[in-house]
Amino acid sequence: MSLVPGLTGFLLCLTVFLLCLFCGTYAGLPSAAANGAIRGRVEFRRAPADNEPRPNVADLGMHTGHGPTDRRRSVVYLDPAPRAAFDTRDEPRPRMDQRNETFIPHVLAVVAGTTVDFPNNDRTYHNVFSLSKPRTFDLGRYAAGRSKSVRFDTPGIVRVFCEIHSHMSAYILVFSHRYFAVTDDEGRYRIDNVPPGSYTVVAWNEAMELESRRVTVPDNGDVDLNFLLSRR
Amino acid sequence: MIIIASLRGRHFVSKILSVASLLLLLPGSVAAQWPSEPVRLADGRIRLGGEVSATFGATDDEAFFNYTDYERNALRTFRAVLSAQWRPAERIAFLGELRTDDLDRLGAYAAFVRVRPWANLPLDVQAGRIPPVFGAFGRQAYLADQILIGYPLAYQYLTSIRADAVPASADDLLRMRARGWLSSFPVGAPHDAPGLPLISAFRWDTGVQVRWAPQAFEAAVSVTTGTLSNPRLRDDNGGKQLSGRIAGRPLTGLVVGASGARGAWISDDVPGGPQSPAQTALGADIEYSRDHWLVRSELVWSRWDIPFTTVPPEGATIGALARWIEGRYRLTPRIYLAARADRLTFSRISGAISNGVAVPWEAPVTRFEFGGGYSLQRNLVLRAVAQVNRRDGGRVKNRTFFSTQVAWWF
Repeated sequence: MSLVPGLTGFLLCLTVFLLCLFCGTYAGLPSAAANGAIRGRVEFRRAPADNEPRPNVADLGMHTGHGPTDRRRSVVYLDPAPRAAFDTRDEPRPRMDQRNETFIPHVLAVVAGTTVDFPNNDRTYHNVFSLSKPRTFDLGRYAAGRSKSVRFDTPGIVRVFCEIHSHMSAYILVFSHRYFAVTDDEGRYRIDNVPPGSYTVVAWNEAMELESRRVTVPDNGDVDLNFLLSRR
Repeated sequence: MIIIASLRGRHFVSKILSVASLLLLLPGSVAAQWPSEPVRLADGRIRLGGEVSATFGATDDEAFFNYTDYERNALRTFRAVLSAQWRPAERIAFLGELRTDDLDRLGAYAAFVRVRPWANLPLDVQAGRIPPVFGAFGRQAYLADQILIGYPLAYQYLTSIRADAVPASADDLLRMRARGWLSSFPVGAPHDAPGLPLISAFRWDTGVQVRWAPQAFEAAVSVTTGTLSNPRLRDDNGGKQLSGRIAGRPLTGLVVGASGARGAWISDDVPGGPQSPAQTALGADIEYSRDHWLVRSELVWSRWDIPFTTVPPEGATIGALARWIEGRYRLTPRIYLAARADRLTFSRISGAISNGVAVPWEAPVTRFEFGGGYSLQRNLVLRAVAQVNRRDGGRVKNRTFFSTQVAWWF
């Protein structure tokens, strides 16, 4: 009987010790609450032009099948990235759709090791391929309703094309870290969970000059950083 | 233009080497600026595209298997093409294409207006120097669509018949067997000149064309001044050619088409004969692609009315039948293999020099071409082919050619 209070006390002490150990261990690292964000807008001095088919003189009529290409999408990323960037997380598998002879989205940013799905949701065949150095692939021709996938292991810029429709193109930016964001319809971006420190932030757009800025992220604070890109 | 002027008249190899040297001397930064996509001007209302190809191969001054009606060797040509589209409004566009072979002369291959009269109706009208509606290969003759270097026989091989000179008898025709590169006949133009292919892939005709293309189906009809064998800028006989094509896509990746054409083909300068002798042609084409495979095949039958002075027992018409099948398999994203089997045969005719026995009026030709391509970039391809030719007649019956090509387009 006398052992019971002793055991209870031991377990209580052990619990308190483990709690202290846990809190102490993580007190030494930048906590999620202490991290900040970099946010802003990417604008252009002159908007990038849409992707147009070649003037196909051999056609017997107007080509009306393709949708607009959203070349306004930019990618903002840290270069280099903080060490914690290389942590792994489970995220839904990204996809690059084919609709109306257009890749949707036109720009995709992924972490190295990600597998991207390429479903064909068009009325016609497509033949997705890339000859880019980080990832060369050719998915062949496949019909509507089918999907093929590609794993991207090497960081870099991968240009994606359709062999049948020369006006179809897209970009997949493969990063070795998670500190990147693709801009929304209005050019806004937000890179969350950035540990305090000084970084170089780069803005990329397929039609624009690359622009980089230095920025310091304070403890638990956001930084506004806007870009105004010029055409190449 | 300065380059063109300085190269004019030089030997072919010198020209190619000169152009290659110029390209190699360009700084890398300049080469990096070469467009890979169409050039847009005037806020996208004007678009420019281009193609440059240099094809290297042995000369063929004896057999003339690959000579075209532009008197070029299709396996040994430097070609530069600039195409343009000006679209001043949503439903109207002006299109044109300038082309030079071996930098000798610059010609307008195409120049026409394209109009969609009703916004909600998939009907287009084209007028001017327009693309052919007949068959399929005539509209695939761009570098991005080609899988080999040589052309199908139906679209390139020169038969002996000419639009400006005709045989008086079967013997006149039989004497010219396998002489399509330079034939002559007693009636009409007295000089020697190249003959005509079944369909010319090197010139487009002039006229008006209407296409209706609802989903998965297409029908087109055109009225032009020339014929399939002899497309023309200006009419030389007052007759018009009517041609049409229907095509459907019953399955994804499958295109099936049927074509027909009929038009007056002999020049008014040729004296005598029946009024408006016609070229009549029928064609069928099919294309199927799946995964890394692409297969195309085409069948072309053509018949020409000949104003013989002495009509042979077989009648005053001669015919030809061409059929070919080609396929491509992509081994890797950069490398593909391709092959084409091709056969061109002719109807029979009898004359004194054949001892009254009916023989083909032209020497039948069989061609097998195989090779492959390597994509340095999406729009920069190296191709190499071997082409085996066999002709059942003529001075040179068999000839094998090897050819390589560098092709770039934007």
